[in-house]
Amino acid sequence: MAPIFASVDVRAGYSDIVIVDGVSLEVEAGEIVAIVGPNGSGKSTLLKSFFGFAQFLSGKMFYKGEDITGRPADKMISSGIGYIPQTNNVFANLTITENLQMGAYTRSDRSQIATEIEGIFEIFHELKHRAKSFAGTLSGGERQMLAIARAMMGKPSVLMLDEPLASLSPKSVEGILDKLTLVRQSGTALVMIEQNVKRALSFANRAYILVEGKCIMQGPAGELLNDEQAKKRYLGLGT
Amino acid sequence: MANTPWAQILLFSIQTGSVYLLSAVALTLTYGLSKFPNFAHAEFMTLGAYTGFFIANLLHLPLPLTVLVCILCAFLVSGSLGLMSYKIIFGPLLRRGSSLIHLMIGSMALGFIIRYVIIEIWPGGTQSFTLPWPEASNIGPFRIYIPWILPIAAALVAGVSMQLLLTRTNIGRAIRATASNPQLAMASGINTGRVLLTTWFLSAGLAGMAGLFIGMKASFSPTMGWNILLSVFAVTVLGGIGSFYGAIAAAFIIGLAENVGVVILAQFGLASDYRTAISFVILIVVLLIKPEGLTRLFKGN
Repeated sequence: MAPIFASVDVRAGYSDIVIVDGVSLEVEAGEIVAIVGPNGSGKSTLLKSFFGFAQFLSGKMFYKGEDITGRPADKMISSGIGYIPQTNNVFANLTITENLQMGAYTRSDRSQIATEIEGIFEIFHELKHRAKSFAGTLSGGERQMLAIARAMMGKPSVLMLDEPLASLSPKSVEGILDKLTLVRQSGTALVMIEQNVKRALSFANRAYILVEGKCIMQGPAGELLNDEQAKKRYLGLGT
Repeated sequence: MANTPWAQILLFSIQTGSVYLLSAVALTLTYGLSKFPNFAHAEFMTLGAYTGFFIANLLHLPLPLTVLVCILCAFLVSGSLGLMSYKIIFGPLLRRGSSLIHLMIGSMALGFIIRYVIIEIWPGGTQSFTLPWPEASNIGPFRIYIPWILPIAAALVAGVSMQLLLTRTNIGRAIRATASNPQLAMASGINTGRVLLTTWFLSAGLAGMAGLFIGMKASFSPTMGWNILLSVFAVTVLGGIGSFYGAIAAAFIIGLAENVGVVILAQFGLASDYRTAISFVILIVVLLIKPEGLTRLFKGN
C-alpha cells in the first residue's frame, strides 16, 4: 500500500535561496514521524514548503499515492493533510468555538459540526469552560491545545506539527503529548518537528535527522536513539 | 441654519453619523484584510450616487420600489467595481509584496480614474434626484423628511446584518479569521483569495449605498465621495480601526461635531463649507493624543 504521505527529493527555501536540499520522507497511516536536527537544518522550511508557505523549488509530493505537487494550501487541507504552524497558530480575535468551527471550514457535513465540537471538548476538556473566550486570552499550553483541536476538526489523515512543544512548561508538554497520543489513537498519522531530540525519539515511531538541509539518517526512533554515531555527531546527546 | 432647533440638529447628526458609519464599516473591512487605506473608497461612494441617479431616471415605478431598486443597484455596481479593482489591481500588487505607499497611491490613482470616467458619463457638475418624496412633516420636535430618515434606517439594517454576517455565518467567520491570521486561515483550508474578493465586494457595495444616501438627501457632484472621505477616515481613526462598537460611537461623535460645528460657524458668519475642517481637527487631535482611538473603551471586541 502506498504511504499516506510522501515527499520525493524536495528542494525548498526562500527567494530562491535553497535551505532544504533534496529531502524525501514517507509517512505510513497512523504512525508518528519525528523530524529532528539542529537549528537551521531546514526542518521548518520543509514543512512550510509542503503548503506553499515557503518556496517549493523542486521535487514531488504524494498523498495516498496521488501526485499533489503544487496543490494550494487550502486544497491540501481539504484533502486531509493538517498543518499547525509553530507560532500564531490560533485565531486570536475569534472565540475558541469559532476557532474550532474554522477547523471544520472545508467540510461539507455541516450538521455534524456542533456535535463534533462537543466531542472535541470531551478530549480537550481544558478548553470547554472557555468556549466563548477569545483565543488571544489563552496561555501558551492552552493555545497549543486549541491549535491541535482546531486541526482535528478537519479530520486529517495526517497532521503536521511545527515544534508543538517549543517554549512550553514541562507540565504543558506532558499535557500536549497526552493529547497527541489520543489524536494518534483516533487514526491520524503525525509528523512533528522537535528540538528536544530525546523527547522526540522516545515519542515517535520513526524519525528523520536533518542537517544543513539534507536528510543524513532515518529509521525507527528507538534505533536512532541508541545509535552512537547519530547521538554524538548529529543529535548533540553525547555519551 | 442658525435658527435650527436643537432637536433637529440632533436628528441631522444621527443622519450624518449613519452615513459615515456605513462608509467607515465598509472601509475598515478592506483595511482589516488588505492592510492599506483604500482611497478609491471615495469614488465607490460617488459611483453609488450616480448609479442610483441613473436608475431613478430610468424607472417609472412606485417610489418605495424605485428606492429599493436604486439601493440594490448602487450596492451591486459599486460592489462589482470593488471586486474587479481587487482582482485586477490590488490583488496582484499585494501578491507582489507592494508596500503600503504603493497600494495607497495606486488606490488614489484608481479613484481619479473612476472620478473622471464619471465626469465623462455625467458631465455638467452638480446633479440631484427628482424623486417624488412626500412633503416634510413635523413629528414632535422633529421635522421629518424621508431622505433624512432613510440612511438612519439603512445604517441600522446594514450594521445589524454585517454583525450577523461576521459572527453567525461561515463566510463571515472566515473573513474575521483571515483578518486575524491569513496564513493560519489558509492552513484551515480557507480559500483566502475568495474571502478577499468577497470583502472587497461587500465593502465597495456598502460604500455605494452610503454614497447613494448622501446623493438622495441633497445635490451631489463627482467630488462628493472625496469630500466626505476625510470625515470617514476620522471616524475609523477615532473608533479605532477594526472596532465595531468603536466605529458606531465615533460615527455619531463626528456627526454631532460637524452638525453642531456648522451652527457655531454660522454664528461667526463663516460658511458651512468648513464642516469637513471640524472632522479634520478631530482627526489630528485624536492622532496626537490617543492614536488607538476609542478601542480601549470597547475592549474585548
